[in-house]
Amino acid sequence: METKLNTGRRLTLIAAALSASFATQAWGDELPSMGEDYSPWQVDVTYENHTAHREHVGLAKFRNTLQAEVDKKFGSGWKLHSILRGSWDGVYRLNSDEYGKDAGGPIMLENTSGAGGSFAVPHGGSVVQLANSNFLASNPNDGMRVLGDRWHAADGGVTFGVPVRPCDVDSRGCRDFGGYGDKSLSELEAPEFNNRLDFVRELYVKKTFSLGDGKDLFLKLGKQQVVWGRTDLFRVLDVINPVDYSRNNIYDELSDIRIPMWIAQAEYRMGASETMQDRNFQIVWNFDQFRANNLGQCGTPNVILDAGCFFRGMANLWDNGGTVSNFAGGNTATDFGPHQIGIRNVYLPAWSLSNTQLGAKFEGVTADGLSFSVNALTYRSQLPSLHSINGEGTINPFTGTNGNLNPAIPVKSLIAFDMHFPRVNLIGGSMDFQLPSVGAAVRMEGAYTNGEEFANTSRTELYSKNDVFRAVIGIDRPTFIPFISETSATLISGQLFYQHIFDHEYHQAALGPVGMPDWEDNFIGTLLIKGFLRNGTLSPQIIFAHDFQAQATAMAPQVEWNVTNDLKVTFGANYKLAEGRSRWKFDDCRSCNPYPPFTGTEATVGVSSGLGGMEPLGRFRAGPIGAAFKENDIFVKLNYKF
Amino acid sequence: MKVGPTTQFMINSSYINATKANLNKTKLGAKAGENLTGYVAGRPFPEEPDAKDPRAGEKLAWNYKYGVNWGDGAVISPFYWRYRNMTSGQIEKTIKYDFHFLNFMHRTKDAPIPEFTPNPSGLYRAIYVKANEPQDLKNTQLLIQRFEDDSKLDDAYLYLGFQRRVRRLAQGQVTDSFLGSDLMIEDFEGYNGRVSDMKWTYKGTKNMLLPMWNHNELKLSDEFKEADGYKFVNYSGQGGCFPDGTWQLRKVYVLEAVPVNPNHPISKRTFYMDAQLQNLNGAIDIYDRKGELWKAFSVGKSHPDHHLPVNKGSGIGIDDGVIMVDVQAKHCTTAQFKGQVDPKKAPPRLFQVQNLRGGD
Repeated sequence: METKLNTGRRLTLIAAALSASFATQAWGDELPSMGEDYSPWQVDVTYENHTAHREHVGLAKFRNTLQAEVDKKFGSGWKLHSILRGSWDGVYRLNSDEYGKDAGGPIMLENTSGAGGSFAVPHGGSVVQLANSNFLASNPNDGMRVLGDRWHAADGGVTFGVPVRPCDVDSRGCRDFGGYGDKSLSELEAPEFNNRLDFVRELYVKKTFSLGDGKDLFLKLGKQQVVWGRTDLFRVLDVINPVDYSRNNIYDELSDIRIPMWIAQAEYRMGASETMQDRNFQIVWNFDQFRANNLGQCGTPNVILDAGCFFRGMANLWDNGGTVSNFAGGNTATDFGPHQIGIRNVYLPAWSLSNTQLGAKFEGVTADGLSFSVNALTYRSQLPSLHSINGEGTINPFTGTNGNLNPAIPVKSLIAFDMHFPRVNLIGGSMDFQLPSVGAAVRMEGAYTNGEEFANTSRTELYSKNDVFRAVIGIDRPTFIPFISETSATLISGQLFYQHIFDHEYHQAALGPVGMPDWEDNFIGTLLIKGFLRNGTLSPQIIFAHDFQAQATAMAPQVEWNVTNDLKVTFGANYKLAEGRSRWKFDDCRSCNPYPPFTGTEATVGVSSGLGGMEPLGRFRAGPIGAAFKENDIFVKLNYKF
Repeated sequence: MKVGPTTQFMINSSYINATKANLNKTKLGAKAGENLTGYVAGRPFPEEPDAKDPRAGEKLAWNYKYGVNWGDGAVISPFYWRYRNMTSGQIEKTIKYDFHFLNFMHRTKDAPIPEFTPNPSGLYRAIYVKANEPQDLKNTQLLIQRFEDDSKLDDAYLYLGFQRRVRRLAQGQVTDSFLGSDLMIEDFEGYNGRVSDMKWTYKGTKNMLLPMWNHNELKLSDEFKEADGYKFVNYSGQGGCFPDGTWQLRKVYVLEAVPVNPNHPISKRTFYMDAQLQNLNGAIDIYDRKGELWKAFSVGKSHPDHHLPVNKGSGIGIDDGVIMVDVQAKHCTTAQFKGQVDPKKAPPRLFQVQNLRGGD
């Protein structure tokens, strides 16, 4: 490295000398020869302010981002690319009642039986108090919100209090759920400055080695994004890097929210053969320590599926105990003690060779112009899976000891969990081609996975492993729409995403459905309409997304205005509609009978009767659009390049 | 407008020799739009066009397709495009590109001659474009592949830096404004489409002024400093839309091209094709769907021996400065070139889709 750097400096001097000596000769016949494959350091610095206002909430984002993009070509053919990014979001100070140190407060929890004389009780004030449930000293009724109150009412279901203040202000329920969940105010404000050095967003070197005969070896080494697949928004093959949904839910470009990883990729570019115009074989080795998708810490503006709140609330229940609405008898708020229900441990895969992730792809173009890929990847799920720990280290809230009253009866289907990130194996492929008859390009992508885990209340572990097939078809068609522009085509791009879960389990029990809340088959459609006005400096667009099973729709209009070469302003909004809320309720395991005879008969231990509500599994049926249907934002973004 | 003497733009000898060697071997297809037969290399129809020949226009179009253009391999790097308000002179956007060109077949000068093999798709030529500035377009890449079989649609792929993804372009996107400029992809090099996409008519021969000059004799711009001291053509005039170059009287063939596709955004182009170079970008009038003049397009050329040393003796008119004026919108796109006829800078690997995916 030192040698290459020195070479670079020497070339800089030579280039400067050439520049100086030829500057006066540029008018003559002997104009200078071209530069070599070398460049000085190039640094582009941009500033972005993204301010969002959320309906009923107020300020939801005041994020200021400074980004430096660094490029350097070395004389040896190696090229370096780096993106350094740091941001500070002022929302935690400017709207501290909602997202900062003053967020939350005392809460009331639903008690539909009216036991104790009220249909709502304060946290810690239930008439049903189970073993060791005098928790208010360690878990006071302050700084809380009711789980799910951002998107649904309790409506007879289970809810509980969730601490929502930053973890340096209130440490209850704080865990590292995989890069989020234990962050202090300063870490939430400036998320890139963490122990994974996320301010070094990308840092890699790359080089193409000629192997002769039209074949090349391409190497790209360092912290990077590796993008597979051909579709927008949906991550069917594009699963090598995890995603940071805490930045702006699903509404940012994936390239801005993929979490770059330390990866070595090598491509053997074979060029053409007698039958194919292009052939490439790629190996991707993600040797970085595991990172999960960042689902957003509870108490922050972007908590996709409200999952971070469920996790924090459950972790707090495990640590301290707490009140759960409508639990006893299915209608009476109940106080639990610590180590009875909740999330106990988070098992983030440590770094080891066996925990690294490996992918291979063959990509080619046929003689007829069909561009395709075949992909295989073994990786760790970037989404968590909750495994019931049943009787392992838990306390029976009815006896105050471990296990069942009858020790011969194992504890089953207990809503006490450890969090795991299972290994997943994926095979898939993609292709694109032109459809001249309609003037469109078609993109397709499909993947089959083995090893994914889903919530499943028909299993006593409360999860099951299921194979999954996902596919997307997308069609892009530029179309002249005179009322938008008579000179520029408007891009119309539609996509349809399909997911099928194999061996799906779902049945109607006495009190409601039991099994897997995720839909066995589901479709999500998206439609993008994007126009280009005033020589492309003004670009209005609207995106629609509809989740067919959740019956939830998002609309995201925006106008992008390139005021100058260096200044861009974007105005926009996103608005959601959710007509399918009655379809989201699902078995919540109140009736799972882990502790007979207190919760049912020994004969039916661990068997759910299907009593349900919106929490906790309705989020899987609502999906990211439905679970955010009350989060309607308007925003303005300003981007300036220095 | 400064008028200079008419000068000799001699085409390179390898192309001329190939033309001589294959004289009268090339035949038109049975009908307009069908492929040639017997074509090997060089100019397929070197004879003077005959106004009485109903397919004279088509022959000129084939001469362009198989013309010298940028030779067997070349690069324009850097290549500055500017969007300008012609009324106020405001520069709305500046884009810094690299353009690379490669002929896969019918090569006459640079190894391998006559073609790269294997080539199962029958790629004839490809253009690879990369945007380096400004920030919102940085790392945008475009690959256009044209086939020997003129009935095959071009393949076009776009890599968007902000998406990190290669998208195949639909056919319609080559007739759309390219990244907001006054050019569409189909306008590149004067005409960047298939012969069969147009109905070609030869309308006669004229003498007219075309922007052709010796680069090193012009007053050049002090903008866009290059480390090697190269300077770009300067722009001035209304809105800063016109190059400070000299014009010379040239013999041109007037060639009219009407799109076969009735939904094409233009109704016709009239090319004023330099009889010696037989490029299509000397001067072009572009008419909208209503038949009214929409744009005027011209690419000023420098003699290669009065440009960079690497171009000396290349026998190629070096594209040096673009004028594309939208006369209806009073808007223009200018482009300043640093053209280098250097096949080493256009290796075949740049023209593969996978190369785009290796971008930043």
